[in-house]
Parts: sequence; structure tokens; C-alpha cells
Amino acid sequence: MDTIHAKIENIREKMMQELGSAGNSESLQALRVRYLGKKGELTQMLRSLGNLPPEKRPAAGQALNQLRQEIEAALDARALLIAREEDEAREATDFVDVTLPPRGRGWGGFHPVVQTMNEIIDIFVGMGFSVAYGPEIEDDFHNFEALNIPPHHPARDMQDTFYLDNGRLLRTHTSPVEVRAMLRWGAPLRIIVPGKVYRRDSDQTHSPMFHQLEGLLIDEDVSLADLKGCLNTFVGAIFGRPLDSRFRASYFPFTEPSLEMDVECFACSGRNPSCRICKGTGWLEILGCGMTHPNVLRYGGIDPDRYNGFAWGMGPDRVAMLKYGLTDLRVLFEGHGSFLTGGGY
Amino acid sequence: MRISWKWLNEFCKIPLSPEEAAERLTVTGCEVENIERPCSALKGLVVGKIERLQIHPERPDLFVAEVDLGGPRAQCVTAARNLREGDTVPYGAPGSVIADGTVLGKRTFDSVVSVGMMLSAEEIGLPGIADEFGILRLPAHLTAGEDLLKALNLDDCILEISITPNRGDLLSLMGLARECYGVIEGSTLEKHELKLPRIGDPGSISWEGVTLEDPGCPLYGLSFAPSVQIGPSPMETRIRLAFSGIRSINNIVDATNYIMLVTGQPLHAFDLDRLPAREITVRGAREGERFRTLDGQDHTLAEGDLLITSGGIPVALAGVMGGENSEITAETKSVAFESAFFEPLRVSRTARRLGMGTEASYRFSRGVDPSRVLPTLSCLYEYLLKEAAQHHLEENVRVVSTRSWEKRRISLTRRKMHRVLLWDDLEQASKILQKLDLREISATDEKRVFEIPTSRADLSIEEDLIEEVGRLRGYESVPSRIPPLLHGTGRVGEEVEAHRKIRVAAMSRGFLEIVTYSFINPKWVEWLRIPETDPRSRGFRLTNPISQEQSLMRTTLLPGLLQALQTNLRSGWKDPIRLFEVGRVFLPGEEGEDHRESLRMAGVSWNGKERRVLHETSLKDDVLSIKADVMALCGSRGQIPGFSTGHEPFGHAGQTAQVSLEGKPCGYLTSIKPGILRELEIPGPVFAFELEIESLLPEKGFRFGQVVRYPAVYRDISLIAPVNRPAASVEEDLRRLGGTLLRELVLFDVYQGPGIPEGTRSLAFSLAYGDPARTLRDEEVDAVHEQLRLNLSAKGYVLR
Repeated sequence: MDTIHAKIENIREKMMQELGSAGNSESLQALRVRYLGKKGELTQMLRSLGNLPPEKRPAAGQALNQLRQEIEAALDARALLIAREEDEAREATDFVDVTLPPRGRGWGGFHPVVQTMNEIIDIFVGMGFSVAYGPEIEDDFHNFEALNIPPHHPARDMQDTFYLDNGRLLRTHTSPVEVRAMLRWGAPLRIIVPGKVYRRDSDQTHSPMFHQLEGLLIDEDVSLADLKGCLNTFVGAIFGRPLDSRFRASYFPFTEPSLEMDVECFACSGRNPSCRICKGTGWLEILGCGMTHPNVLRYGGIDPDRYNGFAWGMGPDRVAMLKYGLTDLRVLFEGHGSFLTGGGY
Repeated sequence: MRISWKWLNEFCKIPLSPEEAAERLTVTGCEVENIERPCSALKGLVVGKIERLQIHPERPDLFVAEVDLGGPRAQCVTAARNLREGDTVPYGAPGSVIADGTVLGKRTFDSVVSVGMMLSAEEIGLPGIADEFGILRLPAHLTAGEDLLKALNLDDCILEISITPNRGDLLSLMGLARECYGVIEGSTLEKHELKLPRIGDPGSISWEGVTLEDPGCPLYGLSFAPSVQIGPSPMETRIRLAFSGIRSINNIVDATNYIMLVTGQPLHAFDLDRLPAREITVRGAREGERFRTLDGQDHTLAEGDLLITSGGIPVALAGVMGGENSEITAETKSVAFESAFFEPLRVSRTARRLGMGTEASYRFSRGVDPSRVLPTLSCLYEYLLKEAAQHHLEENVRVVSTRSWEKRRISLTRRKMHRVLLWDDLEQASKILQKLDLREISATDEKRVFEIPTSRADLSIEEDLIEEVGRLRGYESVPSRIPPLLHGTGRVGEEVEAHRKIRVAAMSRGFLEIVTYSFINPKWVEWLRIPETDPRSRGFRLTNPISQEQSLMRTTLLPGLLQALQTNLRSGWKDPIRLFEVGRVFLPGEEGEDHRESLRMAGVSWNGKERRVLHETSLKDDVLSIKADVMALCGSRGQIPGFSTGHEPFGHAGQTAQVSLEGKPCGYLTSIKPGILRELEIPGPVFAFELEIESLLPEKGFRFGQVVRYPAVYRDISLIAPVNRPAASVEEDLRRLGGTLLRELVLFDVYQGPGIPEGTRSLAFSLAYGDPARTLRDEEVDAVHEQLRLNLSAKGYVLR
């Protein structure tokens, strides 16, 4: 065998041996330089090919090139292996305890009443009601007179009113928007009025400011059946399942007939005589409603012979309290972070 | 109103348990709030008669009584000094239970054994029925050994009924009995005939007359008792008044209250001898006139109040309360009884203004039945005849009337009834209405006409009749249907849309949603240093606030947010917290407007304190991080806000921005003045912003950019500008002078200090040049960039 070929064999053997002991990318790189670098052993041999007799050059060149390819392939394969091992080792040390607290800001939090109000709005919008608004500072006409509550009428005792130094008052209910909407849009009409209302009353279940959502539907031939249908649908949607309801006779000056709607206690369905939610009655008072009084229609410029309608007023605060199991109405308006975040933030 | 179940059943026999009746009444509109059994704690009490009464052999302050219990006898020791032999008393044997739950037993008082106890009114749970100190003495006709509860009708229950303001007719046993008859199947109405008194001159006394000067009193009747004996009322009356929540005074006053409970017509008793003259004139009060009512209170009257006067001197505030000058006393010898009709609104106004909600004013305000005004005097006459033989009563009654009452007629049509109830059986409807004492006076297939009793002032239009039919039939009989969507779909509207998007954006950025009161402490104006020239200092004040802390309508949302922050800090909150609220503020109106309500979105952020956290720096807010929040909130509506140096009275003078949209100011962004925070005891800083939602209502259609396919070439530029030159204006110059290839610029360094002249700062920008159609060559970019540098120099910037 030629010396050149013996040399090649020698290099191959040596290289393969050294490759086996190259344990990291640095030693591998050193190996690559030693054999394939500008001054590497193989490179030098290739360069020395010219010293060979011309008839031996092709065979020697071929053998050298083959060796070069072999070495490259072996180096690459080894490099891949080492990179993987090294990555694995690094990942094993770069451990992050994912149970540590996050960095940056999380979700804030919603207010139960605003959230509930939005849910209620969506339910009624789905039934074809549009949202309308009106002022919170009202005049006596819209808040009382146009709703069939003349001055000094005992019905005014039902709603203790805040008065302002400009002679106006804070609306005691969202009903004044009924007449405003009738005058603005006429019949037929299908609106809901979400908003804040004010009464001079403060204890655990009364806040001087609270929320209401008023509804009004005016059309030809409206029946109590329509009112029951709308409100039953609402109750099923807001509490997540159909609940029994009952309609009790009541009195509001601006509706005739007037009713109150009770729904089956969603907590005990009337089966628990010591239920804290319904106080054992099995019923939850949820809203007042009725057929719009003809006088109110007249104030709204609508002919009560041709059109009639129904209206209701409900308390989203109460609905929210029922939904979220809250007991004190007043904490809703104090902005306690611990309350609104459920204890953590 | 408190109603005795047994008493009610004397007027209408109800074939149901009180609980069942309460349920039915509640569903038909008389909400029974509670059923009380006042004597349910009592056990084993009987009637006893004192056979013998002796002074205790060793204790002169005690008595020993031998009590007959209808066969068996018991020996009782008592300290009460009001007993005599022969008296009838309540007695509890050992083992029986009195009102406070005490189980009675045997006791020895200095060698005398006392078996069980004789009882006081308080011990049987009815302190109000006592007419003297000591043991309760019972009517003599009771039999010894009788069950006490049965003998005194204490085995009763009280319905607490909430009567709606339209149903004044239900404020009496007779009215409620009629209602029960109408709503409770199988009940029977007991006849209680109301008859008119004999009208004429009282023969037994001299009386000049009655004059009605004010239309507020169109009917006035007076009856007389020339001689009465004042004393306690009979036991039965005292018990019934106590059950009805009315205090027993004396037999005359009690009689007027008792009869009022029966017929609903308030009565008033004058001491006839104390009336200044033998005449009554009803007139309107003069503005500022003074009057002392029988509860000893002085009142200043107003025009419109109704007065009962005698000899020109006021003796009663009509329909509200009598005067001290003519009230019944223990010395009263003769009495005049008034029964009248006063206009509901007149009484209501007076009672509300003076805060005098009395049994009388409550009933007059809701309207009494004019047809019962005079018959009630007959009832009183009969009651007093039975009550005590010692009274001398005059049968003739003086009456003056300036008005007559027609019975209203209302028709009920098939069409309207069907429209509301989806039910058109007029025959059945008529039967229902007749149970309520409405008389059918004509009938066709399509229409029935009814005559309405004068007691039902609440029934005036056809809808009222439909309501009566509906509630008596039961609303459960009306089907339930969803009205068809005939007129298009519902719309949430811009305001709700905007509110929703902004609030979700805020919550996503860590803000906590709160709702605070619309009325604030007026001191906030001062605390926030809002000057008088600022419209926000001119909020509306409540004239009747619950407290001063809630008496001014807010003109900014900031106070509520800061107060919530204070509340949290006071309760020990230490973490960073961001709060926001969406709500209205109330500002003085401009140009003829009454007032202006503006929907606002505001937020505050506080960086927390003294709390060691893992990631120290990442949560610290400053004005510029809040600026990012404001941009994101506006971005949720597709809007890009502008920021310029601003001024707010409560804002840090160097850290306040005016926010604008489309060039129009719409809010502020600031760091609250350190001095204000110190006064509010909030360890600063606090960052705040407030935006008008109205400006965010138009949602901008979002404009998308061009697709970049060829990479940009980057060059930096660093220049020196005066400190007071806003970065935004430098940026604007760069954009304007940068030529068409300038794609983007980013400010990456701001430096002020050594090496830079005083009053200036260095701003360094990274500029990206690009062409949408090709890759730019370096030489091209160099040329453009150089041109920009020249342009900037020409503009006066010093380039570094």
C-alpha cells in the first residue's frame, strides 16, 4: 500500500478515535480545525497532492476527498448530538418555577351591578327592545305628574325624593323616560331604560342611590299575556333556567292594572322553610309591572284607544345580589378592592 | 295596618286558615307581611276570683289572696295594691307560662306559700291594656276557672297588611271584609247595616251652628254627649285596640278610635265645655298662624291647611289632630263628636309638610267614604249606649253639607277586557265585580255598565274595572306569550356600545370597576382646589340630603375614585390598585340649558406601598404609563387621542396633559398634586384620568396600513431642542421634513445634563426609511437623511 493511502487510513482511524472523545462543541470545533481547517492535516495533504506523480494523483485525490466527506459527515453528526445534549443540559438548569407569581398586570375586575345590567340589557335587546336614556336630574312633571302622580298624592310617600337647589329633583325611578320616549318616538315603541335612581332612604337593604331598568312596550292590542311572556323569558335567561313565576296584584299610579312579579326562589324552590334568600316564602320579589295607564299614554301624546302597552321596572342591584349571593346593598357603592376582587387582585 | 283575625271574621266569615287567607290576600293586592300571634307564648292561664284578701301576717307590704279557680282554690301572695275581694283576675298555676316565657311555680314569702301567680297586663304580654298599676282586673262576668285566652279572645292572630295608597277603602274592618268577600271563595259577608243618624237640633244642649267656609270640607257632622263619665274602656275594647296597634287613652277617645277601625271614618272628640263657643267654623288657615296640637307640639300653619275653629279660635287641625285646648281630659263632662269629609289632597299636604302621619290623616289622605261620614256617628252612638249606662247621649246630629256625591258609572267593554286579559266572558266578569259591591245597571253583549260605591274612589276608568276582574280571577289565568317582533330588531345604541368596549379595555389593563354615589361631600371642591371660575365648582346641592357628606352632585368622577382609594387604604390595602368608574357628572347648563349631564370615564392608579413583591419594577405606574392606558381605551373605539401640556387645579403642575380627540379637548391625564394627596392622607403618587364618553361615541372605522414587503433602512438622528419644546412637536418637524421615504420614527433617548446646554435637551430618534415597491439602496437613504439633517439645521435644531 502506498504511503499516502496508509496515511489516509491513519488519519481516519485517529480522527474517529478523537471524535469519540470530543465531549462538547468546543472540542468538536477544535477537531474540525485540526483536520479541515486551513492548516488542518487533511487540507495539507490535499495541498501536497501536487507532489505526487501525476498518475497517482486521481486515486489519491479521490481517497482524500472521500475521507474529507466522511470526516465532515462524522463531525456534523457528532455536532448535532452534542448540541442536543448541551440543550438538554441547559434546559435542565434553566428551570422556571411556573408557580411563581406572574409579572405584569392581570385582569382588573367588574362591578356586579354593571355586569348584571349589561346582561339584562342583552336579554331584552334580543327580544327587540332598544336602549333609551334620560336625565337623572328631572323635573316634577316628568318624574311625577306625567306618571299620574299629582302633587300631594299619597303615592308620593312611596318614593321619598331628593330635591336640588335649582328647583329640580333627582329622579326616583327610570319611569320619567317613558313619557320622554313616547313624545320623541311615538308609537309603536319598544324600549328599555337602564340607569341610576335616587331615593331618600338608607339602610342595609336601601341605598340612597340605586339602579333601575325600566321597560316599555307600546303597540296595538297589547295584552298582559305579552307582559308575562317577556318577563318570564327574561327570568329564565338571567337565572340560567326557567323559574316559576307568579303575578300579584299591586298598585302603581302609572299602570293599570298593576302587578308585582315574584319568581320561584332559585336557591330552595320553596322547599326550605329557613331559606335565607327567600326567607322561607319560596318566592323572590323581582319587579313591578303593569299595563301603561291611559293618562300616561296621553301625556306621551299617544292615543290610548288605538294603542296600549305595558311597562315594568326592576332593580338590577337586587338581581345582582341574588345572582352573586350578596347581602349588603351599600357595599356595592364603596369601592372596596377586597370585595370587588373576591379577595385577591 | 294590623287587623285582628277574629274581629275581621265578625264582619266576614272566612273559611280558610289565617295563613291561607293571607296568601290569597297577598296575591290579590293586599300584601300580608306578617301573621303575629301576640299571646302564643301563654300556657295554662285561667280566670280566677279573689275570695279572700288579707294582709300578710309578717309582711305588711304584701297581701295574701285566696283565689277561686272554679272549684279548686289557690293561695297567692302579691304586692299589688289595687285588689279587692270579689275581683276577677288572670291566674297562672305552677307549670303555666307567662308572656316572657317564665314557667310559674311555688314560692314562699316569709312562711306563707304562694302557689302560682296572679298576673299583670304586662305578664300576659299586653301592657297597653292596663288601666291601673298592679294586677289586671278582668270583667266581673267571666267565670272562675275559664281558660283565660278563650275568655278574653286572646287566642287570636294579627294580620299585618300593607295597604297600597289607592285603597283607602281597605283601612277599616268593613272595607277589608268586603275585599275578603270578593277575593276569598266561600266567604260570607255578615250584615252590618250602616244607618243614617237622626238629623236635627240637639234638644239637650244649646248649639249655635256649623259653618263651612272652605271647600276643603264639604260635609261636617257633629253629635253630642251632654254628660259622660270618663274612665277606662271595657276590657274587650282595650284588647282590640292593643291588637290593632292603638294605645288606649280613655273610654271616649277609645270609642272614636274603635269605631274608626270598624268603618274607616276618623272621628274627633271635643270637650264641649272647653270649646270657646257653641259653634264650629271650618276655614282655611292663614299663613304663619300658630296652633298647638293635643300632643303638645306647636305648629306654624300655611295657607291651604284646614282648621276647625270655634268662636274664631282654632280647635283642631282638620283631619290631622285635635288641639290641646279642647282635648278630652279626666275632668271632661260633655263631649261633641266630629265626623267629616276633608279633601284628601288638603289633608295629605298638611300632614306631609308637618310630618304628622296620624291614623286620621292616613285615612283622610287616602280618601274616606263620604257615605259613611254620618252613619259612623250612629255606630258611635250605639257603641256608647252599650259601653256605659252612665253616659247621657243626644240622638240628634247636626249636619252641614255643601256638596253631594253622585255614584260614578263606568262601563266595561268586551273589546278592551279581551285586549288586556285575553278573556271576554262579560257575564263572569260582572259576577266578579258585583261581589265587590259594584252594581250592574245595564247590560248588552258588548258592554256592561256599573255603578261604583262611593267607598271605591280608586275606580274611575274602564281599566280599573279590568284590573278588578283580572286580579280577582287571578293573573295566573292569563296565558303567557312572547310578543312578535313586528318593528325591527332592538338596538343597544352607541352609548352602551362605547361604555362596554371601554370598560372591557380598562378591565383588561388591570382596572377594577367601581360605582360610587353621584352625590359627594361639598368639601371635595375645596380639597381638589377647584377655583370658583371653574364650572366644576358650581355643582347642584341637594336641599334635603341624608347627610352633608352626600349633598353635592358631582361635577367630576375624581372624588368618588379618590374616596374609594382612601377607603381601601384605611382598611389596610397595600397592593398597587387601579380603579375606574363610568358614570354621569352634573354641570351647570350653558346657554339656556337647565343643566348638563355628561357621561364620563375616569380612573386612578396607585402604586402600592411597603409591600415586598417578587417583580419589583414591572408594576410601577407613571404619567406616561397611564398615557398608554388612555390611548388603549380610546383605541378600543378606534380613536387616537392627542396629548398636550395641560393644567388642572388638582394636577401636578409639571405632569398634567390635556387629552383631545380630533383636536377637541375631551379630558385630562395627571398626577394628583402631592399637597392634595398629603391632605387626603394618601401616600402618593396617584395618577388619574377622566374622559368624556361623548367624544368617544363615534367609532372610527379603523384604517389599515400598507403591507410592507421590502425591509426598511435605519438611520439615527440626535438633536438638541429647548426643554419646553414638546417632543411631539419635534416629531412633527421630523415627519414633515423627512420626505416621502420616511416610514416610521421612534424616540429612543432623551437626555438632559452635562454636555448639553442649560435649558435644552437632546432627543435621539431612530428613523426607518422605506419604499413600498423596492428595497432602498444605502446611498439613496444617505442622501435623504442628509437632506433631513440640513432641513433640521435650517429650522434651528442643533444636530449632534
